Amino acid sequence: MPRQVSRGDEPLRIDQQPVWDLPVRLVHWLLAALIGFSWWSIENHHTDWHIWSGIAILTLLFFRLLWGLFGSSTARFSSFVRGPAAVRQYLGGQWSGIGHTPLGALSVLALFGAVAIQVGLGLFNEDEDGLYAGPLASMVDIDTGDKIRELHEAWFNVVLGLIILHVAAIVFYRLFRGKKLTTPMITGKAALDPAAQPMRPGKWWVALLCLAAAFAFSRWVVAGAPPL
Amino acid sequence: MRVLVIAATCVLVACGGSQSSQANNADSNAAAANATAAAVAAPVSGAKAAAIMRERHEGMEAIGKATKQLRRELGGGSPDIAAVRGSAAKIAGLSKKASGWFPAGTGPDVGKTGAKPEIWQDPKDFAAKLASFQRAAAAFNGAASGGDESTIQARYSDLGGTCKACHDKYRAETNR
Repeated sequence: MPRQVSRGDEPLRIDQQPVWDLPVRLVHWLLAALIGFSWWSIENHHTDWHIWSGIAILTLLFFRLLWGLFGSSTARFSSFVRGPAAVRQYLGGQWSGIGHTPLGALSVLALFGAVAIQVGLGLFNEDEDGLYAGPLASMVDIDTGDKIRELHEAWFNVVLGLIILHVAAIVFYRLFRGKKLTTPMITGKAALDPAAQPMRPGKWWVALLCLAAAFAFSRWVVAGAPPL
Repeated sequence: MRVLVIAATCVLVACGGSQSSQANNADSNAAAANATAAAVAAPVSGAKAAAIMRERHEGMEAIGKATKQLRRELGGGSPDIAAVRGSAAKIAGLSKKASGWFPAGTGPDVGKTGAKPEIWQDPKDFAAKLASFQRAAAAFNGAASGGDESTIQARYSDLGGTCKACHDKYRAETNR
């Protein structure tokens, strides 16, 4: 979450500075759209679409994992994954920087983790009638597949709970902290403390390599994860 | 991009499947549909309805289980032909019994079932879809006995298409 300049102090240059690069924003909004589509498609019995939506989410997650290692500074896990001490400092008002706050980072990790578990369960999933199956469903026996289906259904509630918490936090920051968190996720820019370390952008060709690797990984999973 | 291409291919394959099942419908309507339409028409009640609904549930569950076993064989590299034959015979046998599984009076108003009321609102269409499933099950069983893998795969795909065609319209979810 970008830290904004508090108003009313000395007259500051409130420059709009980059905080989220294009890959981060695209992953965020595509993920939101695909999670919605996955829910809608399975509720309306479009099981094929649901499976492909899950594969698309898998691709996004894998890309984001790589971009979290090789991407822009605010995208990197090393810049926002911190321990409980940093969270306490943040809650005590003693934190400055750009990108995810220590508390927001926990939300990011929880959301990515929950969605990754959901997609992972989906890969081994199989419908009750045996007509549709995730690409890895044949790796587990039929009874295990039935249990995975129940877990996949139940785990959606965890994902949904985290999404509700995520949106509630955004509303909270807007109403009680005067921070607009949605706009930077669209434009990529926020009014930041001019003293803060600016975002170091990633390289476009690294993004393309990460994307190619993510597609290759998905393709391998879709093929049933054959031995390499 | 690659994923999209694969997705598009799957959509095409799915369309092809439903077209061939429509073709099956057309030439099987006359023969098998008549018998099934009779079964749909004759109403039952009480203990007999409950017994049929139980048999139907267990039969469908067994067909589902055989389908899942088939995917484990046919989805991978080297299918166990004996296992494929066993599942194919099981589905073909149960598909014949299915003609007696849908008399009027065994719908969701009577007890818990995945059978939608639409079955008895459009019995002719339902009977045609059931008949095409029975034909596909018999054809797949024949292919399995033959042992040619590409024929087995093609008939397996046809069979899945007939299951989906019927379930899309007439099967409700019961586990929610």
